[in-house]
Amino acid sequence: MSAPTLANSNKLVIPTATNMVGDYWDNLFTAKERGKQVVWYNGSAVNPFFQAAGLEWCHGEAFSARLAAQQLEKPAQLAGEEYGYIGELCSYARTHLGCAVLTKQARSEDETGIVGLVDQQELASRLPAPDFFVNAYAGCSTGQQWDEISYRVFGKQVPIFNVSLPFLPGNKPDAGYLSGEEWDQASGYVADQLYKLVEFLETMTGRPFDWDALRQNMSYIKRASELRREAMALCRAAPTPATYWDWIASIAHINFMPAGPELVQYFTDVKAEVQRRLDNSTAGVRNERYRLYFDGIMNWNKLGWLSRKFADADVAVVCGRYTHNAFWQEPHLIDTEDPILGMAQHYLLCPTNHGVKTLKYLTNRDCVDYGIDGIVFHASRTCRAFTNPQHLLAKSAQKELGIPSMFFEGDVADASFYKDEILESRLAAMLEGIDVRRSRI
Amino acid sequence: MPSTFTQAMATLGAAAEFPNTYVAQWKQRTGGKAIGLFPMNFPAELAHAAGVLPVIIQEDREPITAGRNLLGEFNCGYTRNLADQAALGRLDVYDGFFQADHCIQLLGAVDVVREDEPDKPVYFGQLMSSMGDEWTFPQVLEKMNDFRVELEKFTGRAVSDDDIANSIEIFDENRRLMRSIFDQRRHGDAALAPDQIQVLVKSSMIMDKQEHTELLREVMAEHGPVPRDDRIRVHLSGHFCHAPNPELLKVIEDSGAIVVDDDLFHGTRYVSTDVGSTDDPMAALASVYLRRNSAVPCPTRVQHDVDWDRFLVDSVIASGAQGVIVLMAKFCEPHMLFYPELRKALEARSIPLLLIETEHEGLPLESIRTRVEALVERIRRKQLTTV
Ligand code: SF4
Ligand code: SF4
Repeated sequence: MSAPTLANSNKLVIPTATNMVGDYWDNLFTAKERGKQVVWYNGSAVNPFFQAAGLEWCHGEAFSARLAAQQLEKPAQLAGEEYGYIGELCSYARTHLGCAVLTKQARSEDETGIVGLVDQQELASRLPAPDFFVNAYAGCSTGQQWDEISYRVFGKQVPIFNVSLPFLPGNKPDAGYLSGEEWDQASGYVADQLYKLVEFLETMTGRPFDWDALRQNMSYIKRASELRREAMALCRAAPTPATYWDWIASIAHINFMPAGPELVQYFTDVKAEVQRRLDNSTAGVRNERYRLYFDGIMNWNKLGWLSRKFADADVAVVCGRYTHNAFWQEPHLIDTEDPILGMAQHYLLCPTNHGVKTLKYLTNRDCVDYGIDGIVFHASRTCRAFTNPQHLLAKSAQKELGIPSMFFEGDVADASFYKDEILESRLAAMLEGIDVRRSRI
Repeated sequence: MPSTFTQAMATLGAAAEFPNTYVAQWKQRTGGKAIGLFPMNFPAELAHAAGVLPVIIQEDREPITAGRNLLGEFNCGYTRNLADQAALGRLDVYDGFFQADHCIQLLGAVDVVREDEPDKPVYFGQLMSSMGDEWTFPQVLEKMNDFRVELEKFTGRAVSDDDIANSIEIFDENRRLMRSIFDQRRHGDAALAPDQIQVLVKSSMIMDKQEHTELLREVMAEHGPVPRDDRIRVHLSGHFCHAPNPELLKVIEDSGAIVVDDDLFHGTRYVSTDVGSTDDPMAALASVYLRRNSAVPCPTRVQHDVDWDRFLVDSVIASGAQGVIVLMAKFCEPHMLFYPELRKALEARSIPLLLIETEHEGLPLESIRTRVEALVERIRRKQLTTV
């Protein structure tokens, strides 16, 4: 087992970037002091609705991911364990439910004057308690149940609204990506619920919903998304100017940052920087010899470690399901004058919301488009939604494209499941296989 | 000469143990088609009305081999076993597959079935799991109608409302009989051990319903009520989708406990709610989907105004159970999420609780025996101190 170095990875640096994400969280932590209402939500990016309604929003997975990325997840997970959650439960849900327990305790401690453990306070008291919940989880049933449990942890006293997002199994012969009767029906069904969500927000805030603000928000998001997609497309070049890890680094931005000119500026700058690197032949991995696709949800505890680890092996991880097939990835669907249908459709396009037929199509398409040599599957221990189709995807890529793959173990927000030696030995074996294959051609 | 009871139990037991053999024989006997259903909420009445044999696919006893390379080792035992059954051709006897539930692990297994049975219809009509929204009922009704259309396509024949009403009555009758057995057990009858009760439920999920009902009547006619002994009364809770291992159930009863009630899918949950006679059978099927969750709340659903924890405490009080054994299929996400709520509610009432995680293979029966004995001992001591 060897610790990765910094020698070969060449992270994208945006000279003009501000600390948008850090500022966002700091702002959220002071929401109550500023008299703002706070909504906790999971799953799909329904935040443009919250922004238009004048709310502050906390995305459950994002908060868990942030804690994990900062190696701060333990106190919340311990609180969850003490409450009774078993360690095999989705670590996003486990961390966030632990936060819910701590937040609730902190609230009662406020009332009683009892002070809890310092680290618990640190986490719990900083996350403002919800005024209400909104759940809009696609694909994974755990996501929906998780909010129902949060609702119960808070004593069933915090209102909750559920958007039901149907899975797109690809039952009918005409079913395809963005097409077929199944797609049209599901789109309309979800759009109808979004109008109900707006009514719910009006009730919660006591104000009429600002439709103009929503249209405005969606025009910023659409533009940001177009720029992001264009920048991603530049990475079809070999060597790639930016890597999968760079796209991971901007997930928060596209997923839950406030919509506004800053968001558009951020992705304008990203695209400009990628273009500049391309023009100057600056590579994301200094000595790119292999191009891989990454399938799986992110291992937030190991983000920097993994990016360096792959680069050390001369591997450019170029694209992946989590980055390229999620987060407003089909901006052409958004009609900025009448954005509801396109929003509904994006919520259905979560990469865990498709049957395997569509996933095979998307993965193999991206492998061809980006000139991929092999696929690395992150078998994230507690996220069955992402791991479910992985073996079938591996078989399909091998059969359709002759592309090999490897699996390594880890988890979204629980470091204990990561096994470095497995990653190292399997990666070496796959790269050797790629070399052999190349030598035969 | 074996009694009718023994003969009937043997027939039911054979169907429960070897569903595929039963299905193959049924197909040969009737010339009909059989469909495999995935748990837990598909309206089997509709399939029956369409003239096909609806069979809830059971976890089988084979060790998982090919299934290991199809789903993660951290999927529940049922879904890994399903993947294994599909990959190794053990589902070939079915002519099609239907699913109504959207547990994420089950969706993964169904994708494997789709892949391995490419020439057969695999239809998923998602019954909304958010139960309390104003659009839930119309959506569920729409899905029921989709199932009807798909089954009509599958069989090539129209299904009338009368056919459906007739099937509903046949299913309700079977449920009523099964419920009476559960009621008797709750009220002091110790005639059937939990593994025998499980044979009744499992076979009901597999066999032609009328055939099953006849055999059930024979079982009921022959066994007289047997008074309970002084073993510690326990309630079995949880375990969705697949039946707990019969050896595990035996260990529980051999350790000084007697099961007086349960909320297992292979138990009370499966037979809890009748559809009832109606002029509008489709609406009735849609409504029973909702009513069933109020009768025996399920954590795979989202319903703010019903509580599985409260239901459990009420059941324990009603049956006089002295403790609860939670059987949790390892890695079952909905169960893991809800478990702390159960624990809290039981602790608040000082009801002793034991959590046993179960696996497809390698169940540590001896250590489970020790833990159940410890629970029994704890309850006995509590009894002594309160006398
Ligand atoms: S299991 Fe995965 S997809 Fe499901 S709630 Fe957890 S992180 Fe989200
Ligand atoms: S509900 Fe539990 S047992 Fe059933 S498929 Fe899902 S995880 Fe497995």
